[in-house]
Amino acid sequence: MSVTETLLYFVVIPLAAVLIISGLAAAGSGRRAKRYRPGRSYDFTPVWFLSAPEELADSHAPALPAGAQRAELTGGREIDKAAVASPAGTTGGASDRW
Amino acid sequence: MTAGEVAARERADHSETLRTQEEAERTIDELTGRREVLEGPFSTRQLLRLDEALRTADKSTGLTFSVYVGQLDEPVRGHAEEMLGQLPTPVSSVMIAVSPNQRVLEIVTGADARRRIPDRDAKLAALSMVAAFGGGDLAGGIISGLDQLASRAGRS
Repeated sequence: MSVTETLLYFVVIPLAAVLIISGLAAAGSGRRAKRYRPGRSYDFTPVWFLSAPEELADSHAPALPAGAQRAELTGGREIDKAAVASPAGTTGGASDRW
Repeated sequence: MTAGEVAARERADHSETLRTQEEAERTIDELTGRREVLEGPFSTRQLLRLDEALRTADKSTGLTFSVYVGQLDEPVRGHAEEMLGQLPTPVSSVMIAVSPNQRVLEIVTGADARRRIPDRDAKLAALSMVAAFGGGDLAGGIISGLDQLASRAGRS
């Protein structure tokens, strides 16, 4: 084996392999930075998902004018805020922390 | 070059890379109609999986599932209930609100949805979601939680 061949096999090829792999790793990590890590500050834009967002858009224009019911309520005596039924009825569910 | 100019250059570079990603992300735009979701914590692939999970859950149960990820005002429970009230049919809706900064998860079910998903099962789903969030996997936790809630609610 000549000196050039030795250099090619043991220096040039390993170096090329290292460069290609590190290049690929660097290219892939740019996108990966965008994620949540527990304990670090989270400064992403809030997102709200619904499978059919167009339904939500419709709710901005209700059939009943929003002001109608409110005027009636404020005309009467003071109503305890908790006594007014929420649109969802008695809500249930669960809470947790991590 | 002043610091301001450097920052402006960096911002320009950033918008360049965003433009090259546009092709791949057009699907998301079509699905949501909004570009802001890309500023959120999820990658394009995670967004697609989330969308599919939401649609499957809605279609199989007949309930409306909704997921919010972001800051919640104090009291967090009250804020999550308010958001449920803003949905088209709050009575048969399930709101999953996640606040990574406050490390809080709230699952709120409307009156009808509560009959299909008892609070005990909602708590079970919350536990498994919180376990995933603690490991930093927001999308995975939400998807597995949706799956648990939807399978508990059963078919419509």
